[in-house]
Amino acid sequence: MPNSTPPASDIDLFDDAVTVDPWPTYAALRDLGPVVYLPANDTYVLTRYEGIRNALLDWEAFSSVNGIGFNPMVNEALTGTSLASDPPVHTQLRATLTENLSPRALRGLKATIDTKADALVEQLVNKGSFEAMDALARALPLEVVADLIGFTGAARHNMLRWGQAAMQVIGPMNERTAENFPIAGELYGWCSSVTAEDLQPGSVGRGIFDAEGRGDIPPHTAGHIIHQYLGAGVDSTIASIGNIIALFAAHPDQLALVRENPALVPAAFNEVLRYWPPLHVWGRRATKDVDVEGLRIPAEAHVGLLFGAGNHDPRHYDDPEAFLVERNPVDHLAFGYGPHGCAGQGLARLEAHAVIDALARRVGRLVVGPEVRLPTNITRSIDELVVLEVVPA
Amino acid sequence: MRIVLDRARCEGHGLCEEAAPQLMHLDDEGELVLDREEISVTDSAANAEANAAVRVCPVAALRIA
Repeated sequence: MPNSTPPASDIDLFDDAVTVDPWPTYAALRDLGPVVYLPANDTYVLTRYEGIRNALLDWEAFSSVNGIGFNPMVNEALTGTSLASDPPVHTQLRATLTENLSPRALRGLKATIDTKADALVEQLVNKGSFEAMDALARALPLEVVADLIGFTGAARHNMLRWGQAAMQVIGPMNERTAENFPIAGELYGWCSSVTAEDLQPGSVGRGIFDAEGRGDIPPHTAGHIIHQYLGAGVDSTIASIGNIIALFAAHPDQLALVRENPALVPAAFNEVLRYWPPLHVWGRRATKDVDVEGLRIPAEAHVGLLFGAGNHDPRHYDDPEAFLVERNPVDHLAFGYGPHGCAGQGLARLEAHAVIDALARRVGRLVVGPEVRLPTNITRSIDELVVLEVVPA
Repeated sequence: MRIVLDRARCEGHGLCEEAAPQLMHLDDEGELVLDREEISVTDSAANAEANAAVRVCPVAALRIA
């Protein structure tokens, strides 16, 4: 039945219970069809692996202009960033953004990040009991990003709440978004007024201002680039490191496999990202009538990409509910894919690989309390995870 | 078959190098070098590597022509 109307569902993607545990919802939507219309969110969601991956590649049909977020205010605020633009404008903005974020630019950071992660893990193993989100999942990315950008003083203390708010406001205009707009505004205000002298000499942040001073990048772009580093890079990385700790606590046999074969570290991170992608949903806008497996998305409709639903699609991954570090799902959807593929993934890999490597060398087993999760719009992160006991390696 | 690199898109993530060590590598500057671009249809190992490299590139900078 070609070009037929997609099935609809009364599910609200941003309902508190759904954001805390979206897995039954993802499965139900995936079973309903590759495209499902959600009137509660006025969004057509893509629910299966192939549809999501194809949409990420097809920027001409699935535009990022006026389409990333789930409320008009955030889409307007994002206008002109690489995140919310399409080629050819996007190509130049992206090049400026990734100049200092690409793996080749970050090569010099690997040793520093490995040392920081190992020192943190060593200290926590000796301590034996700790709250893992603050002590490790938040501590490492906050330190790495603060050093990278060269923050000092008050900005450093605000990074966590600014980073969380920047993601919350991408959701629909619910209470969480309304509460977080003023905080996201603080971040925007700081990035608009920050000058080279506010940032540590020798930092990447300082280097971006130097590039602006030399005319290598357009005037007034340095602050915007730093805004994107903070807005996109803090909250999602924290979520991923928290997920590493929780998943290895729940699957000590998988941690043992990494210990026996440290070459599995990158594969283990791919599996963590596949299993629990840090982003719940991400938006696009259909530029024309688009057919996905015979189901029509009308022109100008808002489209939601359900990364977690795609990453657990049994049409693409065998036994998707099993957490298996040897699976090495290199094509998972957690970083997106294609022209808008996560610009910070190189840095995220450095941090996550360092944590997995340190855990595998130093920890035999983690005994943890329950994962505490709070309702959030976009980033799915554990809020609190108490490690009760560390059984050393 | 032929491997085509969109150099403007390549950010040097290096996942292709791991998937296709016979066909490509990152040089000392972190720039991708295609060691073999033309691959015979009968060379099944190289074909498999090329397809894996295209599949794994996170920014879709590689394609098969």
